[in-house]
Amino acid sequence: MEEQKQQTAHTSGGAGAISLRPMQLSDVDDFMVWANDPDIARFCTWEPYTSRDDALAYIAGTILPHPYYRAICLDGRPVGSLSVTRNEAASDACRGELGYVLGSGYWGRGITTEAVKMAAAEVFGGARPELERVEAVVDVENEASQRVLEKAGFRREGVMRKYFVLKGRTRDAVMFSRLSTDDDS
Amino acid sequence: MEIDPTAVSLRPFRISDADDFLSFAGDDRVTRFLRWKTLASREEALATIRDVCIPHPWRRAVCVGDRCVGFVSIWPGSGNDRCRADIGYCVAREWWGKGVATRAVRMALSQVFGDFPDVLRIQAFVGVDNKASQRVLEKAGFTRDGLLRKYAYLKGNLQDLYLYSFLSTDVVPAD
Repeated sequence: MEEQKQQTAHTSGGAGAISLRPMQLSDVDDFMVWANDPDIARFCTWEPYTSRDDALAYIAGTILPHPYYRAICLDGRPVGSLSVTRNEAASDACRGELGYVLGSGYWGRGITTEAVKMAAAEVFGGARPELERVEAVVDVENEASQRVLEKAGFRREGVMRKYFVLKGRTRDAVMFSRLSTDDDS
Repeated sequence: MEIDPTAVSLRPFRISDADDFLSFAGDDRVTRFLRWKTLASREEALATIRDVCIPHPWRRAVCVGDRCVGFVSIWPGSGNDRCRADIGYCVAREWWGKGVATRAVRMALSQVFGDFPDVLRIQAFVGVDNKASQRVLEKAGFTRDGLLRKYAYLKGNLQDLYLYSFLSTDVVPAD
């Protein structure tokens, strides 16, 4: 019984307090830690950010105006980020795509799973009132990321063959989704 | 009763297709599952052919003889999505149930991978209630990837959609 109490105090895996907050320009040095990590870039479509100026430009131009972009913080320090996109076409406004990244030094402690659960609650709880569906597209080989989504209450909808190009190679991808009406049963 | 497959052809749209185009694109029964607003006049038909059909990356008139009775469209992606393309189609009401759409989709599949060498995957989004269109895709050899819940709005209603796919390495089943 005592173990269960500790788990519900949102300190997943004994890692410390996890929280989400908007990013700031002053986060640039923390941003560059995960944005420069080749273990992370493996499954991401972007190339590592080696220049602080490029990172600042990205934060200012893409992150700050973003409809939903959050720093994943551990005891108040940014160790990763997540975002939910907005689609342009009115017919597609009901859905947003979730993406996330966590510094590889923090993997394996349930931090991303907790952050994704918190983000889904924020997004459906009023941060993005137009959204009915949050989806995530995951490389079939990225099993760790698939586990994050399963544990965060996302449903696996199917495998899409030859769905996108990653660093010159065509990849199969798994589609996951969570609806505003889903519960954690 | 199935049409003789050799009677169906695909060709680019012409301005002179306007009346034929209006007769199916102006029919609510045909546009019910499309994102289009049903066309209401010959002027709208002419404008759509001129401004949308003709400049389109890949849109073909589906013809029986020389009459245009439907369309099939391919939209390729770009950047990291350049390996996939979306397919859409419709056929005039009086030509339903004769295999015209299936024939048109099969013909599109036989052409489109050559026309877009980066495209390795054709995909189609179909309403869960649109049984006729699901059958067209299945007869053309598509695989159902899964059910996408509350994926998009269609004419104001939130839709669950099936996602189907056909790869350049897949085989169209024999007629």
